[in-house]
Amino acid sequence: MEDVILEIEGLSKSFGGLQAVSDVSFSIGRNEIVGLIGPNGAGKSTTIRLISGILKPSSGTVRFKGKNITDKPVWDIVNMGLASTFQVVKPFRQLPVAANVMVACLCPRAKRHGEWVKTVELRARDALEFAGIADLALEPASVLSHGDLKRLELARAIATEPELLLLDEPFGGLNPAETSMIARSLKRLHKGGRFGRLHSEGPAMLIVEHKLADLMPILDRVVVINFGRILAVGTPEEIVNNPAVIEAYLGKEVGNLVSGS
Amino acid sequence: MGHYLRICYHVIKTEVLEVPGRVIAAMFVIALLAMPLFISQPYVLRILTLTAIFAIYATSWDVLAGFTGQVNLGHALFFGVAAYAGAKLNLSMGLPPWATIPLGGVVAVVVGLIAAMPALRLRGFYLSLVTMALPIILTGVIYIFPSFTGGELGLYGIDRLSNSVVFNYYLTTVIMLVSVYIMYKYTDSESKLIRTGIILHAIREDEITARASGINSTRYKIMAFAVSGFFAGIAGGLYGHYMKIVGPSTLDLFFSFQAILWTIFGGMTTIYGAVAGVYILYPLVEFIRVLPHGEDVRFIFFSGILILTLLFMPEGLTTWVRDKIEIKCPRCKLVNVVTRRNCRACRAPLHLEKDQLGQ
Ligand SMILES: Nc1ncnc2c1ncn2[C@@H]1O[C@H](COP(=O)(O)OP(=O)(O)OP(=O)(O)O)[C@@H](O)[C@H]1O
Ligand SMILES: [Mg+2]
Repeated sequence: MEDVILEIEGLSKSFGGLQAVSDVSFSIGRNEIVGLIGPNGAGKSTTIRLISGILKPSSGTVRFKGKNITDKPVWDIVNMGLASTFQVVKPFRQLPVAANVMVACLCPRAKRHGEWVKTVELRARDALEFAGIADLALEPASVLSHGDLKRLELARAIATEPELLLLDEPFGGLNPAETSMIARSLKRLHKGGRFGRLHSEGPAMLIVEHKLADLMPILDRVVVINFGRILAVGTPEEIVNNPAVIEAYLGKEVGNLVSGS
Repeated sequence: MGHYLRICYHVIKTEVLEVPGRVIAAMFVIALLAMPLFISQPYVLRILTLTAIFAIYATSWDVLAGFTGQVNLGHALFFGVAAYAGAKLNLSMGLPPWATIPLGGVVAVVVGLIAAMPALRLRGFYLSLVTMALPIILTGVIYIFPSFTGGELGLYGIDRLSNSVVFNYYLTTVIMLVSVYIMYKYTDSESKLIRTGIILHAIREDEITARASGINSTRYKIMAFAVSGFFAGIAGGLYGHYMKIVGPSTLDLFFSFQAILWTIFGGMTTIYGAVAGVYILYPLVEFIRVLPHGEDVRFIFFSGILILTLLFMPEGLTTWVRDKIEIKCPRCKLVNVVTRRNCRACRAPLHLEKDQLGQ
């Protein structure tokens, strides 16, 4: 694989007696969109939170752009260019939607890398337009529906100008039309497209999602985990045809997926 | 020239006169500045001078407790430390008040940063307990070294601010107005000038999300300790030079609580609430004091008012009044007088009738 942006090695995490993630190792290239899939409770969210620094691993290392970030605080990691979204949304409920995103636009990295001719307000607006919720900018976050909160999460993460984006179920709460719209936007963003008029870095991505029909088409590679361990790694085609994956997770719907994409 | 006057007139007409809260604030400032023209009794001006000093003090408590959620139960620490530091600098090095007051503020910042160290590890109740202990410890230290600190009697013979009652009044009042304005801007989440307000608000609501947005929340909390300490210190320094004596009472536990009570009465997390709380309660309680049996009654009165406030206006007086006279436009979120039918900017109807809501 060419240029590697993220490397995780032997990552493990236990909660009390429960081994949520054990000995997970994989890497992500600078120009890749990688899917992280697996059944409920497989340890996907935990893996994301270990990489983003919100949880600290029991053992193992995370290297981002060649630097060991395992022990760094979350904000340092974000300012190095690794942003993530939460599966369970945690917005600033009393602040307007625009202000939620402005907070991310005010982090040191966004100030350095953002389009400097634009005010913080305008940059936040670009991110909201990318996520398709610019019309809600003035409303307090507390009135948003679950799907809109997921989009707000996405807007907040891309507003930090990331080079690697970790998305935990970005399609949660969205209807099929919205899902395919966000999926296409993500693909465009990844290809170095723009949100607003802003040149973006074309971030690499790691996406956790259950809606495989929408996810698979935009992926370059898939990592499957089950019971906290890696079950398989490969291209989407390899994964949907992998007997172990089919048994553990995908079941009969795999055939539909292949023909669908 | 006429052009600028017209712009001024337009701004005042549309941005001040249309917003009741701003009208009240403007009237308050004008009344304070005009006060000595109408009232010349030194006793009244003296009370108002102390009120201004305590307003800075209470507001600085709100910056820390209201806006970062770190409830400081020993806020007098900053006030007292700065008062003592200012007094010492004045007495032993002969520095004039204009130097000792800001220096006292700086000393309070240093103390604030030291106090912030437990704040990074502790939260909520435990943090509050530690902050409460600090001034008690310092009071002990003062009693141990009476030759340096003046012990129980305190330090006296400090230079007064000036010999003019009116000048002292104006000096403290103007410093109060400027300090409060700075603290207001520092914490205002809608400010486009300073962006700390929005970040403090975010940290208060969800620290994890703020961190995941690349915000070093620890740094902002320490900064809030420093800002809060600095202004409490300015208040302490002014107090020392105004009273000409600084004693252990400046570190008193009750004095710490007073900041909390004033602010809760006026309305927490608003800045102006703390100012209103002090300007209403302090003169009132001082007035009761000179009545027969006043000394005994005033604390009962003070506590009674607080209990009533908490019962009927749980978010404080100013918030209660604000909700009665102002309404936010449901569409553009601009503040309007409650008597308007349509928003002053976007013309959206402000008061949706019940049958309209059903549509
Ligand atoms: N903070 C925690 N404390 C204790 N156990 C936890 C904690 N977080 C996760 N777990 C457990 O770790 C396991 C993995 O959880 P995780 O949230 O990573 O799964 P997931 O793959 O994201 O599942 P889902 O698809 O349902 O989101 C689960 O058994 C969960 O109950
Ligand atoms: Mg999950």
